[in-house]
Amino acid sequence: MAEIQPPAEEIRALVGHEFPGGKYTIAHWENFLLTECTGSEPLPGDLVHPVVLFHMPILGAGTSIGGMFALGQAESDFSIGIESYDWEIERPLHEDLEYTVTGRVTEADRMEGPRRNDRPGVYDRIQFRFELHEPDGGGFAASSTITWTYRRSAS
Amino acid sequence: MNVQVGDSIPEWVMESVRPERMRTMAAILRDPNPVHWDRRAVAALPFGIGERTINQGPLGLSYILNMLMEWAGPTSVRRIVMRFPQVVLDGDRVIARGTVTAIREENGVRLADCDVSLSREGEAPSLAGTATVALPPE
Repeated sequence: MAEIQPPAEEIRALVGHEFPGGKYTIAHWENFLLTECTGSEPLPGDLVHPVVLFHMPILGAGTSIGGMFALGQAESDFSIGIESYDWEIERPLHEDLEYTVTGRVTEADRMEGPRRNDRPGVYDRIQFRFELHEPDGGGFAASSTITWTYRRSAS
Repeated sequence: MNVQVGDSIPEWVMESVRPERMRTMAAILRDPNPVHWDRRAVAALPFGIGERTINQGPLGLSYILNMLMEWAGPTSVRRIVMRFPQVVLDGDRVIARGTVTAIREENGVRLADCDVSLSREGEAPSLAGTATVALPPE
């Protein structure tokens, strides 16, 4: 059987990897443009559209979509698939509030079988969990759990 | 708000998924994946999609959020768990739908658990999952 790169052990060793963490403030312009992309009218007051829970935790934790592709040693941008997104909102998010963000890899394993819109094959399943906390020792505000698949081809 | 198990949530329709919104989204997300902004890159893939960009997963999810917020209020969504069995493409007309599967109380707040989906008319869901929504007082 042809060898799959990277070795499965390298993928499994990602569990527990922590991103640097950091702060993120959602500006009005960012919320406005994001909300417009969803086809919704702006939400009342300074409320942030919850669609922000995809990119804000990623950037706030000190990584990026490209960085997460690279961490899982993606063969290309096209090799990534979405398994699921799980967003929890304990407290509504607001513009101009500086949230503290943490992020880490919670699951990583090699799998075999069909993926969405794809032929059966070998892929790696990697799960990331990000958490947002309000400023000044404020409580837990929201979390985002992202599970992606990384298709592998035999070398 | 009078809600019962089995109730349907009013549908939310995106009449046409627009590629320029995907591009704005890609810029804000710093999303390097060209499937969201380069039609020729998509056409070169072995998926038979043609020259149509693929909507970001979070954008499709946001249509379901819009449905839930229009139904129960802008701060109502407590959790959403979504899977993505099919892609949504530029030009698609997609409909967000939901059904209440349970009503419960937690810390004095009345919560509705819902099955939610996003699909093209007459087709299997492109997105499917569950959501928990805090209900306004009756």
